[in-house]
Amino acid sequence: MDTVIGILQWINDQPLADNIRGSYWMFPAIETIHVIAIVIVLGSITRLDMRLMGLVWRNRPVTEVSEEMLPWTWTSFVVATVFGLLLWSSKPIDYFQIAFFDVKMILILLAGVNMLLFQFVTFKTVAQWDRDPLPPPPARFAGALSMVFWLGVVICGRLIGFV
Amino acid sequence: MLEGFTEWLSLSRTTAIFSDTTSFWTWLIIPISQCVHIICVAIVMISVGMLNLRLLGIGGMRQSFAELARDLMPWIWGALTLLFITGTIQTVAEPGRELLNVGFRTKMVLLAATVAITLVYERTVKKDPHYWEHSPERRKMAQVLATLSLVFWIGIAAAGRLIAYLDVRHG
Repeated sequence: MDTVIGILQWINDQPLADNIRGSYWMFPAIETIHVIAIVIVLGSITRLDMRLMGLVWRNRPVTEVSEEMLPWTWTSFVVATVFGLLLWSSKPIDYFQIAFFDVKMILILLAGVNMLLFQFVTFKTVAQWDRDPLPPPPARFAGALSMVFWLGVVICGRLIGFV
Repeated sequence: MLEGFTEWLSLSRTTAIFSDTTSFWTWLIIPISQCVHIICVAIVMISVGMLNLRLLGIGGMRQSFAELARDLMPWIWGALTLLFITGTIQTVAEPGRELLNVGFRTKMVLLAATVAITLVYERTVKKDPHYWEHSPERRKMAQVLATLSLVFWIGIAAAGRLIAYLDVRHG
């Protein structure tokens, strides 16, 4: 435990973290970019999730929707992560004590595991159901899980601000 | 005038209900409302973003603009309705935080502009699916509107987030 606090303290003491903490505008500006990136992650991934669940764009191939949406999801996710790390670095010990922060990180991890499983197992057979208005149960399930995890990420993120 | 209205609303019984944070259940209203609000922002952002990128010829080229508009308009108006409801709840709960806030006011002006642009998209494409492709002038106009709408939407999200930092109450 002491080592963890030690590492967090070291991050906390970095000049960049100090600048963000001490500045009037840096935290709000970084947070604004973080939030805009996150709504694009959520908006784009849920479109694909809903296609997998057969709720939208039922006449479009799943691969087409995925090729259209995922570049936005990934780019925004990288932006959100980089700017999120900057926010976190300005008060890592505070965030360490906020349960919503832990839950948010766990949900991102779960979303990642779900995505990898989908990519390397379910998606292998996509040729067989690409044009199905309602994809098979494993794909629907992956879509539903992804949606639950990402909605959870955004909700926890918003709630961090209330603690 | 807005100051007077803000004061009247602050003293109203409705605001009193929301600001009674001694009860956990009324305290919960604002965080829940904000969560719904941000999820709806995600829906509108991606939908309006796709329409605009399609008009600019940057993305979504596998579908026509009219097809995309038909698919996405219900999402846009549905999410905007929920945004209006949750936004109203947040404003009634803390009138001074919102109505006197330069971030809030900027957001409302930009919002009016983007809603107007979205209405123009909806009306024109309903009349004629190829409306924006008929002439170079129309295409140019579409690009101007799409660029404005994209910039305004980023502005709306930014102004919305900054409301928390531009609160003029308490000094």
